[in-house]
Amino acid sequence: MNRQMTAIIKKDINSIVANRRMFLTLLVVPLVLTIVVPSVFLVTMRFAPIEAGEFQKLLELIPLSARPDNLTEAVAALMLNQVLPVFFLIIPIMASSVMAASSFVGEKEKRTLETLLYCPLSLKQIFYAKVLAAFTLSMWISLLSFAVMLVVLETEGWLLLGSLLIPDVKWLLIMLLVSPAISLVAVTLIVRFSAKAQSMEDAQQCAVFLLLPILLLLVGQFTGVLLINGWVLLGLGLVCALLAWILLRQSLRKFQYEELF
Amino acid sequence: MNAVSLEHLSKTYPDGKQAVDGISIALKPGEIFGFLGSNGAGKTTTVKLLNGMLTPTRGSCRIFGLDPAASPGQVHALSGVVTEHAQMYDNLTGLQNLVFYGTVFGLTAADSHERSLQLLTQLELLEAKDTRLGAYSTGMRQRLSLARALLHQPQVLFLDEPTSGLDPESAQNVHSMIRSLAAKQGITVFLCTHQLRYAQEICTRYGLMEEGRLLAEGTLEELRARVCSGMTVRIAASGIPQALSGQLSQETSPGAEGLSHSFRLPVRSEADIPRLVRQFVEDGHDIYHVSAQLPSLEDIYFTLTRKKEETP
Repeated sequence: MNRQMTAIIKKDINSIVANRRMFLTLLVVPLVLTIVVPSVFLVTMRFAPIEAGEFQKLLELIPLSARPDNLTEAVAALMLNQVLPVFFLIIPIMASSVMAASSFVGEKEKRTLETLLYCPLSLKQIFYAKVLAAFTLSMWISLLSFAVMLVVLETEGWLLLGSLLIPDVKWLLIMLLVSPAISLVAVTLIVRFSAKAQSMEDAQQCAVFLLLPILLLLVGQFTGVLLINGWVLLGLGLVCALLAWILLRQSLRKFQYEELF
Repeated sequence: MNAVSLEHLSKTYPDGKQAVDGISIALKPGEIFGFLGSNGAGKTTTVKLLNGMLTPTRGSCRIFGLDPAASPGQVHALSGVVTEHAQMYDNLTGLQNLVFYGTVFGLTAADSHERSLQLLTQLELLEAKDTRLGAYSTGMRQRLSLARALLHQPQVLFLDEPTSGLDPESAQNVHSMIRSLAAKQGITVFLCTHQLRYAQEICTRYGLMEEGRLLAEGTLEELRARVCSGMTVRIAASGIPQALSGQLSQETSPGAEGLSHSFRLPVRSEADIPRLVRQFVEDGHDIYHVSAQLPSLEDIYFTLTRKKEETP
């Protein structure tokens, strides 16, 4: 990546961040999913004690060695390590979809695309810069949500349950491999649609209709995978990363200036 | 080496519309080429072909020997483009826009900042440097676009109607800037416009386009020699000499306050003018005005388009 591409990435991210209303909207869903939902769960656990039977089936899925002795702690660990990671497959995609959808068609509508195309960057470099801008933003929001979630949950765990919640090592795989890979797949697809779309609405609709089934499929599959061992998760993460790489390369085949006018 | 060359360049769009039809032009460095024609003549398509945005259907084009379709990045590093479709970001200030494009064109942030300030001063936009582009007037936008196209010191400048929306003073400023860029820095200017009088003021060569075809190409003198060479003399006098009454075409009849008539007469050269004036004087008429007129670019363009219409 060169200085020119970095300038495009910075410009794209700044334009989203500078638009306060849009940026706050982007932050709402991650914050609700990672702070409000688990907080409500912890508060409920603290003030309405749970019966073992209600969670027995789920608890049985956790390997015996990883199961805490205390039922409340076990259920809290179940939430932290089996439920919340799934949100981090959704958050980066949601956070980047608006930016990715507007990447090319947004510039086209503002009549700034042609100016960008007249720069001494190849179409491939402009495409990569657009993908990286949306991907970087999605990763920032994802990591920020993770950090805020940990601080809030650990504080609440300490205050409400009297103990810290221990994150599973699988979080590392989720945050560093699976989540970025899935996000890159989604961003690449949406940016490619954006280049073909004639209007913002067109691009956003494409993003929703094409990505929603993929998203549901992934979420459904990963919820199960999280209960299996880390190696399978690592394997799936690598498969997603490979898919992202292939998509990124394939998207640029037959991609020509003429297509953008 | 030619700065810009087009050889039998043609472009047909997928819908079947032939926008450019077999154009051949060669421009030397430092020329200001007026690419003239009405809307839809194929000017913008040609600029897009010359910058690799479109691929020719037939023929080829080169910028300093580079094929824009094969090496668009290298061509863009050599060229600056101003068209009405190439706008900048409304949410950024004038200076922020220029610094961004400067960086995208490969300048360091410091160089880009310095060059931007220099161009903003030159184009009288320094006071508006911290104003968001959204608040700029059409003329200010146009000047900022010109500044943007000059950031990386291009060797070829493509300008599509660069003075549209400018007040006469700003337009004059842009004219002298274009002339100076060509004369002092040897920049080749490819100027697309339908304002023929404006083109005649600053261009050194012309290409006249209609419906994708190049009707004629050359300097003004070459076009006059080829299309309509005739010089005309305009005379304002109190009456018509008897011997000339059949040859003169009267432009105006005498006004209420005066007795002068305005006449136009074709002549072969300036050598014919004294004989003509003598005839008026010998017949006892007063002469108020005598001027020789050569065909303007407009006259040439309309003669060409008329000829084309008359050709079955």
